[in-house]
Amino acid sequence: MNATGITDAVRADFDACLAGADEGGALELAVGLVTGGVSAEDVLLGLVAPAQVRVGERWESGEWTVAQEHAATHVSRLTVDAVASAAPVGGGSPRHVLVACSDGEWHVLPSHILAEVLRLRGFQVRSLGGSVSPHELLSDVHQSGPDVVALSCTLTFNLPLAHRQIETCRCAGVPVMAGGPGFGPEGTWAYALGADLYAADARDAAEALLHRWPPVLCGESSVRAGAVEEYAVLVRRRPELLADLAYVLRDVFPGLRERSDIPDGSGGSDIPGGSGGSGGSGGSGGSGGSNSSSSSSREHEEGTDFLGRLLDSLAAAVFVDDARVFTGQLAFAAAYFSARSVEPRCLLAMTDALADRLRGSPRTLDTLSAGRRCLTAQEADSRRPE
Amino acid sequence: MTDDGGGGGGGAWGRAPARLSELLGLVEAALVDERDRSAFLEETTRRLGASLHHGRTVRALLEMVIPKLADASVVVLPVSGRRTQWHRAGPGDARSAGEVAVEALERIPKVADALYGLQPRLAVIRPQEMAALDDVLPDELVHGEEALVVQLAAGGVPAGVLIMLRGPDRASFEDADIELAHQFAVRAGLALATAALYSQQAHTIAVLQASMAPEPLPVADGLRLGAAYRPAAEALRISGDFYHVAPCPAGGVRFFFGDVSGKGAEAAVLAGHVRQSMRTLAMVKRGPDPLGDLQLLNDLVISAGHRFTTLVTGSARPCDDGSVKVEIASGGHLPPLALRGDGRVEEIVCEGMLVGAVPDPSFGCTEFRLEPGELMLLYSDGLTEAHGGMSGREIYGDERLVDSLAGCVGMQAASVAERLELLTTEWLAGRPHDDISILTLQAPPRRGSAPHRQSEGPGGSARTGEAGSP
Repeated sequence: MNATGITDAVRADFDACLAGADEGGALELAVGLVTGGVSAEDVLLGLVAPAQVRVGERWESGEWTVAQEHAATHVSRLTVDAVASAAPVGGGSPRHVLVACSDGEWHVLPSHILAEVLRLRGFQVRSLGGSVSPHELLSDVHQSGPDVVALSCTLTFNLPLAHRQIETCRCAGVPVMAGGPGFGPEGTWAYALGADLYAADARDAAEALLHRWPPVLCGESSVRAGAVEEYAVLVRRRPELLADLAYVLRDVFPGLRERSDIPDGSGGSDIPGGSGGSGGSGGSGGSGGSNSSSSSSREHEEGTDFLGRLLDSLAAAVFVDDARVFTGQLAFAAAYFSARSVEPRCLLAMTDALADRLRGSPRTLDTLSAGRRCLTAQEADSRRPE
Repeated sequence: MTDDGGGGGGGAWGRAPARLSELLGLVEAALVDERDRSAFLEETTRRLGASLHHGRTVRALLEMVIPKLADASVVVLPVSGRRTQWHRAGPGDARSAGEVAVEALERIPKVADALYGLQPRLAVIRPQEMAALDDVLPDELVHGEEALVVQLAAGGVPAGVLIMLRGPDRASFEDADIELAHQFAVRAGLALATAALYSQQAHTIAVLQASMAPEPLPVADGLRLGAAYRPAAEALRISGDFYHVAPCPAGGVRFFFGDVSGKGAEAAVLAGHVRQSMRTLAMVKRGPDPLGDLQLLNDLVISAGHRFTTLVTGSARPCDDGSVKVEIASGGHLPPLALRGDGRVEEIVCEGMLVGAVPDPSFGCTEFRLEPGELMLLYSDGLTEAHGGMSGREIYGDERLVDSLAGCVGMQAASVAERLELLTTEWLAGRPHDDISILTLQAPPRRGSAPHRQSEGPGGSARTGEAGSP
């Protein structure tokens, strides 16, 4: 595993730098590899990218707080910049790529790595950063005239928004290359949304573009009108469904028990993550005097937010006509709850409550039953004697 | 150019069909032909109508005529000096571009006329006439067949000339081709002229945008900085919010941050004035005098018109013990927030009146200290007044901001700015908003000290927006 000079020991050192938010150490280590002869691309894809995946896992498992995750991600980002500028850039051919995150997408690092890898390979890259609205994208496409737009999506519930961006680019005559785990296994949902190309990672993206240049418009959206209509119902009814769910599930779903309109008295926090994760370094209980009065309403808000994400995933699953978008998010939620000692049964209660309220939407009901099956199977698995 | 009026199939109609089936075959063929042409024109409209980028439009129209009308195509763009640009596609996948002397073009009157918008009909140029265009035309085809020259224009606005060439193996241009080329040119000319106009305007706007956008933050020893900038008119990226941070020769930085009333281009212009004036003041003054600066600014903003602005100006200086001393003076801006090491969020009180609202206002100033790891946040009201949430009508509000900031202990200044931007953007969920700007300034944490406290309070760890592997 060290054909590239990136040994397990190097990985462990880099992980430690991220854990300690030690940017000096991280930069020294990564740039040292490049000056020592490891290619910048290998450092980006073989060291930084996998380390960042572990950062996500440590947050997901409850080991790290959001603040730790963000601090570590920032160090990764500085590392990407430093590594890229330590390496010679490929010859400048007039090949323009516009790199953007899908609307609502804030996982900027993958698109950042892509931009640098393409730049190292000699492409001219313009990068728009996180959460790019279709307006901003269209305006930039018309102004800068790229040969291709590379669109990054990490979270599946952003797929309907990504569709809008893909349509925007294609309508302006610019092909779209999609990438990121949000587009599903082998980019299934990228093609369903009409993307012209899909790449699993930055290296694949560079190679696919070099293999056939310029990219051509060839994608076709397979999103059905019926699916869009049911999606629209879910979007329109979102506030009402959410308020309804928050009420019905108040006793089973984390974070919902105390309503914002009830003055805070008891300190019982059952918010996801609030009760201390598995590997946490000891909770300090509350983050200061300035917010104790509003803490229960904030918890309620965050519990509702969590429900909202599940609802958005359901809507996205209906939109792309694939229940896996929803079941994937349910599986994440179940793991997230388990890691924080919350019983994931509340998710079943949620799918049932939703099915009850969405009887007129056949596609949505199908998706919900798929979600239910997946949850029951998982529960059966976890009860099996060890 | 059409002189026989025969339409579609040319000579085919001349012979008397022997049988009815033969006649039907001809009709059928003419119909297929016609359908083919209208599909081609429809595709032209669709593809060219969508692009506003001049370069892409040129490329698209060059490629569209191959192979339908020609084996190679050249566009010569309107003259703006003694040389002018050309772009070529074909034969095959070959693409090239360059410049040609206007003098050379003028040796072929048909091309020159078309370039000036004086060649309304399509013209044919013979191989011997093309010598002047040797550099522009593909070598393989120069000594072959006739070329077709078409003017591209939108009404009276010339947009260029399209030259189409065919290889020796292909039949020369027929009347039907010429008619189709004419219809194509009408659409292409309109698209190209529109794109040229758009590109000029977009360029002007881009230059203005660049002059109005905040400059990148400097790197300053003993300080960490972060910023986020989301103007209301996202497609144009200009706003009435402004900030600037500059290193001081003696160490530390000077900064200012403000928000002009209103939004869009009008607010951005005043923001630009204020920014420039502040920088000039910094150059001509000997020592820092934030209150004096605010007074001068007040006169300037009043004389500029009916808008006013908020403004915080100050300086930050790292001290030997790793802390940072901050001095600020405020003119009606939201009080900065300080994130303390234990997760408390403090409002830095500094009273002052709006800049440019009344002739003799009072401004306040104060100073405070940031211990290692602690951070100051400056923000515009677009952040706290973002409308969203479950109902879509609730404002983000001070309390939410304070909670969110409290959850940022252990994060670097830049990631705090990004996190606050993320939370507001999620809160907005795509709804329109006012200009949002954020500036963070931090004393770096002590090396070796635990960078993270497990701060599990609200805003701490339940953000599902960060789900999944990044």
